[in-house]
Amino acid sequence: MRHFKKSHLLIGVGLVWVALSRIFQGEHTLELATADNTAFTTSVGDVAASIRGNRTKSSAFIYFFNPIRAAINGFVEIIRSIISVPSGNSIIPVIGWFGVVAIVALAVYATSKLRTALLVVSLLMACGALGMWQFTMDTLAMTIASVLLSLLFGIPLGIWAGLSDRVLKILTPFLDLAQILPTLVYLAPLALFFLIGTASATIATMVYSIPIAIRITAHAIRNLNQSPIEAALSMGSTPKQTLTKVQLPMAKQMIILGINQTVMAALSFVVIAALIGAPGLGKPVVDALIIRNVGQGFVAGFAVVFVAILLDRSTSAAAKAQEGFIPMTPHQIRGRRIKRAIAGLAAIAAIFASRSVLSLAVWPGSINIAQQVEDVTNHVTKWVTTNLYIFTVGFKDFISNWVLNPIETLLAFSPWFVTMSAIVLIAAVIGGIRVAMLATGLLALIVLSGLWHEAMITLTQTIVATLLTMSIGIALGIWVGRSVRAERIVRPFLDAGQTLPAFVYLIPMLGLFGPTRFTAIATGIVYSIPVVVKIVSEGIRAVPVAMIEAATVAGSTIRQIITKVQLPAAKKAILLATNQGMIFVLAVVVIGGFVGSGGLGYLVILGGSKPDLQGKGLVAGFAILLLGVTIDRIAQASARRT
Amino acid sequence: MIFSQRRRIATASIIAAGALVLAGCSSSVNDTAESAKASSECGTWAMAMHAWNGYTASAQVVTEVAKANGCTITQTTLEEAGVTYDAMEAGTIDVIIEDWGGGRWKEWVDRGSVVEVGDNGNIGLIGMYVPPWMAAKYPDILDSANLNKYADMFKTSDSGGKGAWYEGPPGYTTIGEKMISANKLNYKAISTGSEAALVDVLTKAEANKTPALAYFYTPGTLFIKIPGLEQSRVKFPANDWSDAANASGLTDYPETALKKLASKKLMDSNSVFATIVKNFNWTNADQNSVAADIESGMKPAEAANKWIAANPDKVKAWLGN
Repeated sequence: MRHFKKSHLLIGVGLVWVALSRIFQGEHTLELATADNTAFTTSVGDVAASIRGNRTKSSAFIYFFNPIRAAINGFVEIIRSIISVPSGNSIIPVIGWFGVVAIVALAVYATSKLRTALLVVSLLMACGALGMWQFTMDTLAMTIASVLLSLLFGIPLGIWAGLSDRVLKILTPFLDLAQILPTLVYLAPLALFFLIGTASATIATMVYSIPIAIRITAHAIRNLNQSPIEAALSMGSTPKQTLTKVQLPMAKQMIILGINQTVMAALSFVVIAALIGAPGLGKPVVDALIIRNVGQGFVAGFAVVFVAILLDRSTSAAAKAQEGFIPMTPHQIRGRRIKRAIAGLAAIAAIFASRSVLSLAVWPGSINIAQQVEDVTNHVTKWVTTNLYIFTVGFKDFISNWVLNPIETLLAFSPWFVTMSAIVLIAAVIGGIRVAMLATGLLALIVLSGLWHEAMITLTQTIVATLLTMSIGIALGIWVGRSVRAERIVRPFLDAGQTLPAFVYLIPMLGLFGPTRFTAIATGIVYSIPVVVKIVSEGIRAVPVAMIEAATVAGSTIRQIITKVQLPAAKKAILLATNQGMIFVLAVVVIGGFVGSGGLGYLVILGGSKPDLQGKGLVAGFAILLLGVTIDRIAQASARRT
Repeated sequence: MIFSQRRRIATASIIAAGALVLAGCSSSVNDTAESAKASSECGTWAMAMHAWNGYTASAQVVTEVAKANGCTITQTTLEEAGVTYDAMEAGTIDVIIEDWGGGRWKEWVDRGSVVEVGDNGNIGLIGMYVPPWMAAKYPDILDSANLNKYADMFKTSDSGGKGAWYEGPPGYTTIGEKMISANKLNYKAISTGSEAALVDVLTKAEANKTPALAYFYTPGTLFIKIPGLEQSRVKFPANDWSDAANASGLTDYPETALKKLASKKLMDSNSVFATIVKNFNWTNADQNSVAADIESGMKPAEAANKWIAANPDKVKAWLGN
């Protein structure tokens, strides 16, 4: 075996696959009409129905799920009544908009620079001016609630995993899984147990953000300089003392950085959480998708981006403030105390003002530029969709006919055992026997679920979107990796692309490509390009300068340097980027079920609204998970093996 | 540069905020709170919002009438059916003003969380439509028996070699696949995802004289915008709807009297909102007139109030017991 090149083996597998696919086209494809159930999906549906029917009767609900739901709901409502919704008998929240702006500004000012505080103020005011004040506050409340709960569980677990190898080993698969899991998947199961509403949304957000808190905390504890710890232990400190007096203080800055990442993860969930009733900025975005008002979607989308920048800057400023082990001089400490005292007094005054003056309590309706932003966006989109429609549809048709359809024919319209064997063989060549066995198990489960055909349709879209993403992403990544100026130009777009919710540009994509599979693919590309470009450009930049100089001295052209030196050296980064890109793409491609992409995502969405297909939707969600793990393991193996 | 600009904007906004403090000092929050409390007997209720324009029209009119009578109404956009019934069970939704599903809420009604409140007066009819230019050019296309003859025309790059059958969004009542198999049609159902996408498909097809076969329904304003569309509904063999649960033989959509559903909590209350919901009833033409205003860019509340002002008698009837 070993003397064959891997690429030859892969080509061989591909050729046999295509040949068999041609011969047995359309046989044993395991196609199942959308409205039909299998025995398995019916029984899952029955279980779901009985769970739903027992919500008021079964003790699991009365003593477990319902109290959790009530507690979380209550917690979120308290935070909301402070900053967002009218509290008690009043018609205003405890703190009006002016008070919130003041508190945030002064808190940031007290922990970091004036410049950051001013930035934060202008971002908050911009959200208000976009007519999104209350949605923004709801989002802040949801984010604060889920981050606090995530940290409450995440930091202790992270510390534990940092201290104990066994705990880390047990937790790691779950952490991996949570990061692969497309967000759409676990909404329905959560809603089944916690109903639609803030509780489900908060828990869903936590599933997404806890792993990050755990990971970074564990990492922080594990990567400490060991000598102070050894010193403490040798001087007779108990493990507890060592933890609280040495390890935690040393890891503090890293842990605060983890808080920043946890906040960002929680925030990236706000839009999709609106699907299960979360209050906040996701609501106008999802509404906009449904009524297809691009402008409205962007207005809310901008507010999401503003909140993202706001939270990122203020939490990372707090992390930086922890820097340095040099103790402050008494003079500095006094200066800081005075600064904080003044800030505190000013905040109290502002809160008082925001409670007694209506125009400082409720954002004044006269300051609202939402309509203008909406109109401009809608005009631009309308122009683009009417004038470029011919081109975009042409491009869509080209990709559909020459890339999408052939791959779909190969994957979804070959007999299932042919496709499955081919994927397993590819996994074996790329990742070895263990990965192949894992793939066999996972794919067999998909076959047993009865949704093989739909899974292959989703896989096709994921592959096509990844191919397109990588061809754009590698090119951009090389450019950004080779030129500082390019990075400066591209960086803001990458940052915006990573924070702007995919739902926002799903709407214009729908206008450009109609209700088709390609709409989902195009959205997936936009969503995953930033991460691919980041990883590839870092890989290119990490190529040792000496290698490039040597090549230059030897008379290589720029093209030769890129293709012969930088790309091969950055191969690992590229494969890693492919892996990440695929996971990102999968998460969005399934959301494409909303815009006519079919596949597993459509079944998940359908299951949410058609009671007789609820079981099928839940099974489809599980199949997405299986597919995600399969893709991830094969792609990871290919990155590891180089 | 960017920073100094940001700083300038920020400084400007702080000054603006300061100005607002001074300007706003005259009005006191507590006075307003008192007056709001006085008329709050009706209570706060949540209206489910579904994703089609006609629904928005009905829901907004009910909302505006309720508001005028001292109610506080919140609106929440949700998918049709199960999701919303669950929300009613959880106590976060009180009213669905237009439900198309024939009794799919039974499970929730049996559990006592959802109450059927009767017809809302609108008659719904779903169907498969072709753009009017096709109906004019190929008159026999309106008989489902001839659809296969034209299947090639409806092919797209997404329809797998068959005719593209643009199906309603996931949340809607759809039986396209069953219609295709029951009538042995060489078509593939493609989900569209939203009302707007359906509007888009049919509007573009009529404007560009391209073929399309798409799901649509009345009441709907699209029939005003595309003259002749209402007559371009493809007729399928009639079928027996007495056994809707066992739907294997379904071949076409029936006319449906659209229903109102409410939470038990609302119906048990003595709130005037319960009365309004119970009595709300209007015609397809009424709904279309409001929906058309919304579609032409009027804000839903504005359009609803315009209709309310023009139809005082109807509104008065909803308020009486």
